[in-house]
Parts: sequence; structure tokens; C-alpha cells
Amino acid sequence: MHNLVLFGLIICVSSGLTYKQDTFTEELLIKPLYSEQLYAHFQFSTKWDVDLDVEQFRHTHIFPRALGEIIERHNVQELHVTLTEGLWRYESWGYPIEDAAPGAEVWAWFKPDTIDVEKNWKLLANSLSGLLCASLNFVDPSNSVSPEFTFKPKGVTLTQNVNNTFLRYATLPREIVCTENITPWKKLLPCDSKSGLASLLNSGFIHNTRYHSIGLHLRPVCREDACQHMSLELQQTVSLVYDYAIMGTKNWSLKKLFGQAVNGRCDLADKSEIYVDITSKVSNDFNLEPKPDEVVTSIRGGQVSTFAKYTIKNYFMSIHSVSTGDKISVKAPPLLHANQYVTGYGQERGGIVTKIYNNHWSSLDVVVLQNIPWYVPIYLHTLKVISDNKEVQPLALRYIPGKQRLKPYYVEVLVSLPPRSITSISVDFDYVFLKWQEYPPDANHGFYIGSAVVSSYLPLARNFTGLPQDGSTIADSFNASRSGYLVQVRTENMVITLPTPDFSMPYNVICLACTVVALAFGPLHNITTKRLRLKVKNNETILVKLKTKVINKIKGVFSCTKDNDDKPKKE
Amino acid sequence: MGLLTDPSAEQGKATKALLKYHTKLSLLLYLSGVVWFCVLAYPSMNASTYFSENALLPGLVKSEFREDKSAERFLHELEDEMKKYKDSVPYSWILAKFQQIGLDTYTHNFTLNSPLKINEKYPGKNVYGILRAPRASSTEALVLSVPYRPASSPHLTTAPSIAIMLAFAKYANRNNYWAKDIIFLITEHEQLGVQAWLEAYHGATRGYEGILDSGDLRGRAGAIQAAINLEFHEARIGQMDIKIEGLNGQLPNLDLFNLAVKMCTKEGLSSTFKGRANEYYREPFDVWFHYFKTLMAMFFTQATGIPNGNHGLFHSFGIQSLTMEGFGQAKIRATKVGFLSTGRILEGIFRSLNNLLERFHQSFFFYLLPSSDRYISIGLYMPAVCLIAASLIIKACAKWCKLQETPENESGKKSLARKGMDNINFERIITIFLLAHIIGMLIKYSPQYLIKISEEHDLPATKFVTNTLFAFCALSFAVVYLVSFKTCSNSMTVLNIFALLELGTTLICISMNNFSLGMFCATIWAPIALFINPTSCKYYSYMQRILWLCLHPLAILTTVVMINTYTMFRGEKLDEIFSRGLGATNQAIVFSIVDSMIYGNWLYTFVTSVLLPNWLCFWCVSFSVSKDNEKEEAKIKKTN
Repeated sequence: MHNLVLFGLIICVSSGLTYKQDTFTEELLIKPLYSEQLYAHFQFSTKWDVDLDVEQFRHTHIFPRALGEIIERHNVQELHVTLTEGLWRYESWGYPIEDAAPGAEVWAWFKPDTIDVEKNWKLLANSLSGLLCASLNFVDPSNSVSPEFTFKPKGVTLTQNVNNTFLRYATLPREIVCTENITPWKKLLPCDSKSGLASLLNSGFIHNTRYHSIGLHLRPVCREDACQHMSLELQQTVSLVYDYAIMGTKNWSLKKLFGQAVNGRCDLADKSEIYVDITSKVSNDFNLEPKPDEVVTSIRGGQVSTFAKYTIKNYFMSIHSVSTGDKISVKAPPLLHANQYVTGYGQERGGIVTKIYNNHWSSLDVVVLQNIPWYVPIYLHTLKVISDNKEVQPLALRYIPGKQRLKPYYVEVLVSLPPRSITSISVDFDYVFLKWQEYPPDANHGFYIGSAVVSSYLPLARNFTGLPQDGSTIADSFNASRSGYLVQVRTENMVITLPTPDFSMPYNVICLACTVVALAFGPLHNITTKRLRLKVKNNETILVKLKTKVINKIKGVFSCTKDNDDKPKKE
Repeated sequence: MGLLTDPSAEQGKATKALLKYHTKLSLLLYLSGVVWFCVLAYPSMNASTYFSENALLPGLVKSEFREDKSAERFLHELEDEMKKYKDSVPYSWILAKFQQIGLDTYTHNFTLNSPLKINEKYPGKNVYGILRAPRASSTEALVLSVPYRPASSPHLTTAPSIAIMLAFAKYANRNNYWAKDIIFLITEHEQLGVQAWLEAYHGATRGYEGILDSGDLRGRAGAIQAAINLEFHEARIGQMDIKIEGLNGQLPNLDLFNLAVKMCTKEGLSSTFKGRANEYYREPFDVWFHYFKTLMAMFFTQATGIPNGNHGLFHSFGIQSLTMEGFGQAKIRATKVGFLSTGRILEGIFRSLNNLLERFHQSFFFYLLPSSDRYISIGLYMPAVCLIAASLIIKACAKWCKLQETPENESGKKSLARKGMDNINFERIITIFLLAHIIGMLIKYSPQYLIKISEEHDLPATKFVTNTLFAFCALSFAVVYLVSFKTCSNSMTVLNIFALLELGTTLICISMNNFSLGMFCATIWAPIALFINPTSCKYYSYMQRILWLCLHPLAILTTVVMINTYTMFRGEKLDEIFSRGLGATNQAIVFSIVDSMIYGNWLYTFVTSVLLPNWLCFWCVSFSVSKDNEKEEAKIKKTN
């Protein structure tokens, strides 16, 4: 009895401790883009003051236990998953808060004590597939790479030097993202979609956008500035880009965007805020209704932005915006953006070109990562970096050739882009035949090549909205000037049509071969079993032949009848 | 079973029959080939078109296009702009419109380094806007293109098609059901602009290196699935002609053609093919003749290998495309439709193409059309050309058998005949055969060098090149004098066999790619090729030469151009037509050379490297001289 009481007490105390240990914030940033689009970004972040290495995830409070179990089981240190429909148009939209490749993208750092990374990676992908209802189970060593430069840990690491053998990165460019992914994703939130900002995520509205991306980012972070202890941070994000042309108007409201207004805050949230970027009011004026609680000015990397801040109270609340001025805005393209495309025609040879635009007045160092599937065999000797019609030597080049059905081609190029230049990185490939069962079923678009990732630290924060590495909320990005701003530009996916054999041909061949065999069998059988004998050739004409034949027949008939007549007589 | 026959055995019955009847058989095969082809136009000999690709779901959506008023406004504005820019494209206006609509707008610069004049450059500029499909990552695209024609252009205006294109773009950008990006392309300099744009898009060169500098594109939208080219000449359209013949006789997938026809029909606009509508007759012959005329119209367009619209250049990049040409004045009785209907036709076509899950591959790529709703598949038309080729090959076989034939009746002659077979000097025959082909190759590659020479000596390139080519052709006749075995009829027969076999196989090969060209060559060449034999009869031999001379590729070209000129300028005097025709022939030769350099048209290559050498071989055969003749000649010489 005494023991039981003590046990209960311990539980109470421990749960009380955990309760105090985690915080949840929900934020929404609405930003009218300089083009004819509106960007809405939801940021839900959960911070739990536990050490990832110690925690067993037997009991969680706000943090989703389903995810905790997965990372604990597969020895994950850091995990990033994004599911995206559409392509972020860097050239006209600027930079998003979270870069994401079209389709599914997942990358994870495993803890340095992981024994079999390959196996853990495969199991992790399968678990995530179940967790998010996405086809992440198709992630396996045949489409995963361990990039050396591009994906550094975003969180805290114990050692100074990280070993990229514990990193895995894969994309599924064919993945289609829809309601079935957002529903399980919402269940990871403490308030689900019942209250708070998450209640705005109505499938009928958020899937009618130009761009739609959901993300899940888990990493260990410092608990305090001195970084004596570690905490676990989970960021859940939704990025949406609405198009005024599709909406039919430039006036927006929460109801128009999401189907309903906010019906109060999530009670578990420590902070529940909506920010509207009003920097663009200078060129395209709009009036916000109701008036914001506060106007925040942020100076970051030379860029001044102003935000209208709304704190969500526990009652019904909506925000309207009415466009008043319709001035023509000058589009300033971001410092760095990139495209990717296939060259060549026909089904013999082709090329992949990644074009990188540097609009900055000084040179930029970028890392270009390409994860090229094994069915697109590239030739490294054809890799060329051409900048403004001059060939440039890459600063560093990492290449691991692919193996058919086992390993993709991994290319990572470090290039210094000259000021105000267009640089293209091209590599040639061959179209290959696959095994007949590897072709997709009949109605298919072709074979996908995932997007390239162009990473760079930008010196200026123009068009930049990303969170600083040490921040986890949108509020953290205000006045967060740093020495560089990391952007990881994702390019388009590509579709190629591999030479497809005529699948009805084997059937025809079988039919033909059988006929030939059947025809050959008869004469062969005759020749081997029958004896050829010389026969005296008859030189009679047809008429004579016919005559004798007829006579013989008649004779035969007569003789027959005679015989028949004779027989009974004999009896 | 070949294995079971004894090679040393006497000639079988079949061989004997072949030797006996080969002339009749060849003639029969030729005639049946031609008749087969002609009969194909009769409705019960071909099939009506159908949709093979279920994913297209043509015409199932409710048309929502209502931007006809803005199309009219665009047309007014554009017409005003066109007055300002007499010779060039109103770029700023087009760019502004694209941007206002909300498209990603780009320009594309290209330069043509004149193939006829070194250091002469023609710049050009295309404009295009890309509608980015929502929630798609620019992996696939559709193209809607219009050739821009300034007021000074000799062709009919295309301003209404630009207006409807802009209106359609405006409508399409407001909808979120697009799964593929749509590229709206306005090209300059007719086919050159499209070719340059396509080469830049694919980073490839179709013609000779360094002729067309296609430049670079800033915006792309993935793999292009299909393209529609518009040439509307008036705002209100009474007749929509659908053009399909592309470069080197390539055709778009039949499903795309069916789709365009179906959409036009749905909107109540009568679509025509080769400017001919479907008409109904009671008499079977009239029915056949109507279809046959349409079929022949397509046949001759395809045979030239020259695209009859900007769509033709997409084909060689594996993109299915066609041109819709709208005329205000209908040749047929029909109601006119305005921008509302034409916009809905475009909407229907693009929404169907948007449904496509895979590249066009279901329906036919090789077909002939006797009308817009009936087609002749490759399986039906190939026997025609095969029959004609077979007649040539059978003749070659018969000749070969005859060479080996040993007269049975007298044992003494038998040995002589064997000797005759041994006399054949294969090395010499092959040398002549190769020589003919080398001449062909020289003529093929000569224009590049001729242009350089003309440049150095400051001669007009066009005239110099054509005249030199004429001279080369005339010189090539002299190959005959290099034939040292003219008197040996057996050797001449072997050369004849080579030529026949080459012609037969070439005809089949060429008709696999461009049926019309193959069939055209077969129909006119085969009877005379069958007629040519090594002979001792003088008159027969002269007859052969004259007939064969009429079939020289240049002669055929001149005849075709002359007929064309005559039909176009019927009112003029004969001598004027003749001089016009000669000029046009020269132009045609230069154009075919230039086309091969810029677009990769292989008509010139085919004629010079295959047809011309083959012609020379037959030409040599027709010069065979019997021994008696030679003796007589020798006697005459002696007496002299």
C-alpha cells in the first residue's frame, strides 16, 4: 500500500514535470507576394525540454507520441519530411520559409552510434509512410544518397565534425499530396484541427491553391544560450500560395482563404498569433480589418519589413483585407534561383541541365546536389559548368556512380558563381531499356527525375523569409540579422520517356515461332519416317488419265456390286 | 523448306514459270499496286476514324469560355499596333498583354546565318508566355502557337488568332484544373521562328551546325506533349481547315487530328481537310472520286516533305501537333462562328489534352486521310508500294535465273553459256555501281563548298549553285563512257539486277517513312525501270534512254514545278509561264538545299544520295551495245 502511494506520487510529479517541460506555439504568416499571389504559412512548433538521447517516449504530453516512438526506435537524431504539390516559383515569389521539393522529400540524420544506417533508414521510411499515409515506403537505398555538403544538421550535434554516412536523403518526385496526408499530419498537433489555427486547414480550400506543402521537422536544439542542455523541437508547417486570378479578387479574408475564420486559440498553445506582412503596402495598398494589435518592424540583413500582429483570443475572429491601390509593382528577382530541364529529343541520348541565376553584384558560392535515379545513367566526363559562355572549373566535385537497381547517381558540385551571371551545369545521359516488369502500368506520364538542390548562404536577406537556425517560430525571424542566410533552392522535376518495348511483340513472336515449328515438323517427320522410292513417271495426258480413272471407277463399282451380289448367294 | 531442296538440282517448275511469265507478272504486280492504291480511297476499302485514347475524353466538359468580348478588344488593339509596326512584331504590346494576364513572359532571340551568304545574318525574336499549372511542377506542357505576320507579309494575316490566343490565356489562367503548363508562343519569320524556338527548347540542332543559331530560352515547362498552331485569318470563321503534314512527311498521331475535328463539329463549325469538306454522292464513282481527290491532295503535300504549317516542325521533336487554319469565306455552305465558338474549340482541345496521362501513342502515326472522318492505315496502304517493289525484285530474280540458265538441248552450248557467266567481271560492275553513288554523294555535299566558292568570286550564290548542280548532273551522264563492259550483255544484266534490287528496297524503305514520296517514286519510276533491259536493238535502246531521261530527278522536278506554275498562273502566255517555271525550279532546288541545312529536311539528301545514283545505274544499262553493233561500228571506222 505504502509503495503504491509512493508510485502514484512519482507519476504525478513526473507528469507534472513533463507538463512544465514542453511548450507549443502556433503562428500564421500571411504575406502578399509581389506577383499576383498570396502566401500563407502555418508554423506549429513544439519544444520539449528533454534530452533526445535519454528520452524513451513512453509518456509524452504535447509532443506526438507516434512520432516519438518512431525516432526513438530508429535512432534518429534529426528528421525532415515535406510533402509538396506544385513548385515554388522562386523567380517571382521570392523565398519561402521552408524550401521543399515537389513530391515527397525526406532527409534524416541518424545518431552516431547507429550500427546499420541503411536498415534503419528503410525502416524509418516505412514507419513514416504509415504515419503520413504517403508512399514513403518506396524510399530505399536505390534512391537515397548521403550528400556531403548540402544537408548539414540543422540542430545541435554533439561532435564538431559530422560524418555524412549517418545522413540519408531521398525524394519521390512522383508523389501526389492530398487530403489523406494532411489528415494524419493534423493528428500530430496537440489540439488536432478542432481549435486554434489548425482549424483553418480545411482540405476543400487548401488544396485549391497554386502551391501546397506540408512539412515535419524534428531536431534537437539548445535549451538555453549556454547550450548546457538539449531540447527536442518539432516544427510542423503548412505553406500555401493562393492566386488572385483563381480567387477572382485581390481582397481576401480568412474565410475566403480557409473556408472559416478562427474560432479561438488552441488551449494548449503558449502563443497563438497571426502575422500579416504589410511591407508590400507601399506598392499595392490594402486595408486590414480589424486593426492589428501591434505593428512589428523587423530589420533583417538590410531589409526592412513590417508585420501586423494579431493575437488570437478565445473568441471568434476573422481578418479581412481590402485592396485599395492597384499600382504596378516592380519585381525584383531574388539573388539566387535555378531551373532544371532535359535536353535532346528522341530516346537515345539526352542531357540534364541545371541553370543557376546569380543576380547578386558579387560572386556566390553554391552547392548543387543532384540525386539522379539509376535508370538515367549519366556520364561524368560530360559534366560541364558553363558560366556566361565560359567553362568554369568547379571548386569541388563529389560523385558516386550509380548501380543499376541498387544505387542512384550522386553528384554534388561546389561552384563559385560569378557576379550577375547565369551558370549552367550540364551532364549527358543515355536512355536505357528496363526489365519488362519494371515498366509502370500502361497509363503513365514517364519516368521522373527529382529536383536538384542548390544551396547557398546569401549575404543579403532580400526576399528572404526563412527562420534563423536558432529560431523555431516566425517571431524569432524578426530582427534576426545573421552573417548569411541559408537558401536551398529546389528546381523542377523532370519527366523522361524511356524506350518502351512493344509488349505485344513477344506474343507475336511466340505465335510465329510455333507456326514455323509446326510447319517444319510435318515434312521432317515425313522424310525421316518414310522411304523415298522412284516411281515411273506417267507421260499420259490429263484426258487419258481421266479416262482411265473413270473407267476404273466404273469397273470398280460394277465389281463391287457383283461381289455384294455374290456374297449372299454363297451363304 | 529450303534445307530439303537440292541446290544442284535442275530448275524447278516455279523458276521455269518465273522465266516464262516474269514480264507479265511484273506488269501485273505494278498495275495491281497502282490499282490497290487508287481503290483505297473508296469508303468500303478504308475505315472511319475513332478515338483510341480513352483518356482524352473529348468534349465531355461543359464549355465555360466566355472571353469573346476580350478577344474582340485584343483584336482591335492589335490591329492598331500593327499599323505602327509595319515590318516587325509589336513586342511590347504582346509582352504587356501576357504579363497582365498573369503569365510568365519571356522573349527568345535567334539568328540565322544565311546558308547562301557568309556573314549575312537575319535576327529574329519570338515571344512566349507560360501559364504555370497550379499544383504541378512544370514537368509537362502543351503549346499553343501562332505565327506573327506583319502587315507587309505576303501571307494572310493571323491577327485574329493572336487575339483568341490571348483571350484563351486570360480564361485559362483563372482556372485551377490545369495539370500541364500551357506555353503561348508567338513566332516571327514563319517556320524559322518555330524551328529556332524548338531547337533552343531542346538544346539540339536539326540542320547543319552553325546555320541556325537558336540562342537560349530562359523559361521552360518540361516535356511538351502536344502543340496546336493557329492561323485564323478572320474573326468570324466559316471554315476550319486542319493541316497535318509535317517535315519529311511526318504526321501527328491520328487521335490529335480526330480531337480537333470532333471539337470543331461540337461547336458547329465545319472542319475541312485539304480545303475539302465531306460531301455525299449517290454514284459510287463520284463518291470514290471525291475521296480520291482529297487523298491525292494529301499525297502530294506529304511527298514534298515540306511542312505546310508551323506544326510540321514539332513532329521531328516527337511532339504531336497540327495547324488549324480558319477562313472567313467558306468554300462550302456553312454558318460562320465567332470568337466564342473558336475559344470553346480551343478550350475543348486543351482540356482534353490536359486529361492525357501519357504521351500520344495509342492511335496511328502512319496513315493517309481520304477525308476528315476516314483513314487508311499503314497496313492497308503498304501492300500497294510493296506490290510495285515486288515487280522490280521479281524482274531482278528472273534476270538472275536467266543468267544461270543453261540451255538444255545442246551439250556444246551449255559449256559456252557457263563461260558467259564466268566472263562477268563483278569488280568492274561494282566499281561502276559505287562510282554512281560517289557521284551522288559529291552532289549532296557540293552546295556547301559551292557557296564558299561563289562567295570568294563574288557570284550570286543561288544562280551559281543551281547552274553548277545542273552542270554536275549533265557531267554525270558521262559515267556511261567509263563502263568498259558495254558489249558484254551479261555484265550489263548484272548491273541491271543491282539497280533493280536497289530501287526495290529503296522504295519500300522510303515509303516506311514517307509513304507518299515512296509511292510517287514507285509509280513513275517502276514502269520505265521495268522497261529498261540491256538490248541489241538500236531503237529500243534509244527509246529507253529518252524515256529514262524524262525521269531524271531534275526533269521530274521541272515538270512538277511547271505544272504547278501553269495551274497557278493560268491566264499568262505559255512562254511567260515557261520562264516563270524555270525560275521556280531553280528556286526549288535552292530551297531544298537550304531546308536540309536549316531544318534537316532530307528530301535533297535522299534524291542526291540514293535516287540519282540509282538513276545513273539504269542510265548505264540503257547504253548496252551488242557485239554486232560494235563490229559494225568498227567496220565503219575502218572504212573511214
